[in-house]
Amino acid sequence: MEVLKAISISKNFGGVSAVDQFAMVQRENEITGIIGPNGAGKTTVFNLITGVYPLDTGEIWFYGKNITGLPSHRITDLGITRTFQNIRLFRNLNVLDNLRVAYGIKVRYTVWEEMIRWPRVKREEGETEELARSYLAYFGLEKYGDMFPYNLPYGLQRRLELARALMANPKLLLLDEPAAGLNPKEIHQLIETLLKMKEEKNLSIIIVEHHMELVMNICKMLYVLNFGKKIAEGEPKDIQRNEAVLQAYLGDEG
Amino acid sequence: MELNILLQQIFNGISLGGVYALEAVGFGIIFNILKFSNFSHSGVVAISAYFGFFVSRYIYTHFLVTLIITTLAGGLIGVIIEKLIFRPIRLKGAPLTLFLVNSITAAMLVQQFFAATLGDDYYPYPVFMKQTSINIGNLTISKTYTLMLIISGLVLLLLTYVLKRTKVGIALRAASTDIRTPSLMGVNIDFVISVAFFIAGVLGGITGYLLGMTYSVDPFIGSMILKGIIAAIIGGMGSLGGGVIAGLLLGGAECLLIAEIGSSLTQIVIYSGIFVLLLIRPEGIAGKRYIIKA
Amino acid sequence: MSSPLWKRGVRGDFVEIFKSIGVRGPMEFYIKVLEITCLHTILVLGAYLMTGLTGLFSLGQGGFVSIGAYTASIAYLHFNVPFPMAILMAVLMGSAVGFLIGIPTLRLHRDYFLLVTFGFGEMIRAALLHLAQLTGGALGIAGIPKLVDLPMILISILFITFLIYNLKRSRFGRNCIAIRDDELAASLMGINVYSHKMKVFILSSAITSYGGALYAFLIMFIEPNLFNWLESAKLIIITFVGGVNSITGAIIASVVYYSFGEFFRFVDVWRDVLLALAVLFVTIFRPGGIFGSWELSPTKLFSWRAKKG
Repeated sequence: MEVLKAISISKNFGGVSAVDQFAMVQRENEITGIIGPNGAGKTTVFNLITGVYPLDTGEIWFYGKNITGLPSHRITDLGITRTFQNIRLFRNLNVLDNLRVAYGIKVRYTVWEEMIRWPRVKREEGETEELARSYLAYFGLEKYGDMFPYNLPYGLQRRLELARALMANPKLLLLDEPAAGLNPKEIHQLIETLLKMKEEKNLSIIIVEHHMELVMNICKMLYVLNFGKKIAEGEPKDIQRNEAVLQAYLGDEG
Repeated sequence: MELNILLQQIFNGISLGGVYALEAVGFGIIFNILKFSNFSHSGVVAISAYFGFFVSRYIYTHFLVTLIITTLAGGLIGVIIEKLIFRPIRLKGAPLTLFLVNSITAAMLVQQFFAATLGDDYYPYPVFMKQTSINIGNLTISKTYTLMLIISGLVLLLLTYVLKRTKVGIALRAASTDIRTPSLMGVNIDFVISVAFFIAGVLGGITGYLLGMTYSVDPFIGSMILKGIIAAIIGGMGSLGGGVIAGLLLGGAECLLIAEIGSSLTQIVIYSGIFVLLLIRPEGIAGKRYIIKA
Repeated sequence: MSSPLWKRGVRGDFVEIFKSIGVRGPMEFYIKVLEITCLHTILVLGAYLMTGLTGLFSLGQGGFVSIGAYTASIAYLHFNVPFPMAILMAVLMGSAVGFLIGIPTLRLHRDYFLLVTFGFGEMIRAALLHLAQLTGGALGIAGIPKLVDLPMILISILFITFLIYNLKRSRFGRNCIAIRDDELAASLMGINVYSHKMKVFILSSAITSYGGALYAFLIMFIEPNLFNWLESAKLIIITFVGGVNSITGAIIASVVYYSFGEFFRFVDVWRDVLLALAVLFVTIFRPGGIFGSWELSPTKLFSWRAKKG
């Protein structure tokens, strides 16, 4: 089943093409990778999918529904959540509340009920907290619920962001360089967690990543971007041997 | 309205607009680099206005000499304000809202300090010129307004030169695009910011002096900078040229409107105009849209 | 305003002060101080919701105070509307204007929002001056009966605090803080940023115009310059002294500042100097505000002794 389908999406900033006629398909319960040299437009693809920028051309479909041009919060509501390249946690909310924010779309009480602390508010707040705590435990963060996110070590901040993205109960998860800044042991843990999550929650995941080992290990499909253009797509073992890809990476390094 | 009076009003308006332009640029320079609305600029204007008054009244009464002294003092005040209230929070990586709070607070501090110590009496500058106006044919042109226009014009030209041709100016403009750029050019960021506050302070000093000379000084003189801020907004934050044009337009429009429909209606018209403008062009006349980074 | 300090002498002749504000003795004086302090605290609570919690910098709060004060007074005096209805009309008017102003402005970048709301405040002031037939122009409206007393203000404060405290500790408040911290991330967490800001803006406008309406029937006299942009700015910065994450802090900072001002009327202007210095001191040395995110809650109040012992 097709979860997400991008049809020749483009975006340019002041004449510079960031993403050019990119197309991709994401299938259910698979992990897909988007790779490419720095500045290839990978993060822009995420920003286009999540409605941060409007598309210049193209369409995006999610579970057979055209989501092109929808505002970000609607897209989140439909079941796409994400993490960020530079961690973006809410610094004035504690760890627990960072998770609870993400569950706001699932909560059903109204502002009026909130004002007078109607019993339903109390009940749903309790449920939210329980759920948030279970996610903290899932990611080994249960000790840190009352702390503020930027007092946590970097690796835990990454995990917290992942937990927050899951809290909204997404169908599709977009991870923007989840391994950046992690040490080998943490990366290994991340791989295990991602695979476990995918199975348990029947998730589909798209990863933007530099870390080749991680991408080659867990992705079923890879898309390679260079200067905003797709230069290759296919299974990891084919990509590894692809001339154009090697060229792009060597050109970048050398 | 008679033609000569109309022309006079337009002339006065444009002169006043020249001062608004100075304010807009002084305000814009800081906004470009640090991305917050620097209300403390009104503090610089007020302190300079009082300073200019004391110097010209009690120490040395000469228009040009006191103007230059006040200007330098303004620059110094700008630098000191930055050192005292903005640098500490910048080094702590405080959010932009805190810069805004501090700048509003500083504006209030200066205003209320003068209100508390000197009261709300008016302090008129000494008369620098024997004749207050020049007659050209049917027109009577105020010398003060003429001076205002000439000085604002000269200062803006000089500033353009500094920004375009000097190394510091180029570093400043680079910092406006990205605050980290100057360090790539081998220029210290702290230094660039100090320079920015110095230039803004110089502009504030001149503004204070010109306003003080024209209207005499009271604690609320700093509030006049709000018109300059409005000009900066209309012109588009980040565009100094846009601010200058908007300043001139605003000054001209204001003087004409006040003469035609009275001051309270003028306020209503001007603010509704801004409202409508920002509805149509949220980024101002010449401003660029913000690109959010994700 | 006041004349210079040294011309007046700082001895503070209380009898004269009592006379000047029309009270007969110390007790009445204290009550008056408390009334005015608490009234301003209502306004601070309105600003807290908007600026403290949500990070919307509005210099137009004064405009809403005026709208509340004038709506209620004109309704009561000119149209014989009963007092409670007049207050209700003021609140509704404030909310409606808040909604209308919010439509275009809440999409603006922070600094533009600040300026447009400032312009809004000035516009209201100019309009009140201009519509002299209805508002009395610069002379203002005198002869408003004193229908507001201390218990009424206290109950209002308790009620408003109760509302805001409840909002703060559930979804509404979390969304506010999320928006203040990172608008983009907030919208990607499913928060409709614009509509949430609108709710905040309307609610804050309602609280502020309610405060304005009470103000008219407490001070018994209103004029267009009642609440200029500086007064609006003070409401905002007071919330930063207490700490933007703490209602308790906002209330305590407000009570200290306004009661100080009323007690020491002879140093009226100096209190603003002190406030400004306090704000700068706090932002530089304790950016989270004096109270950080600490809240006094009924539970804490009752468990206080247990913890100590």
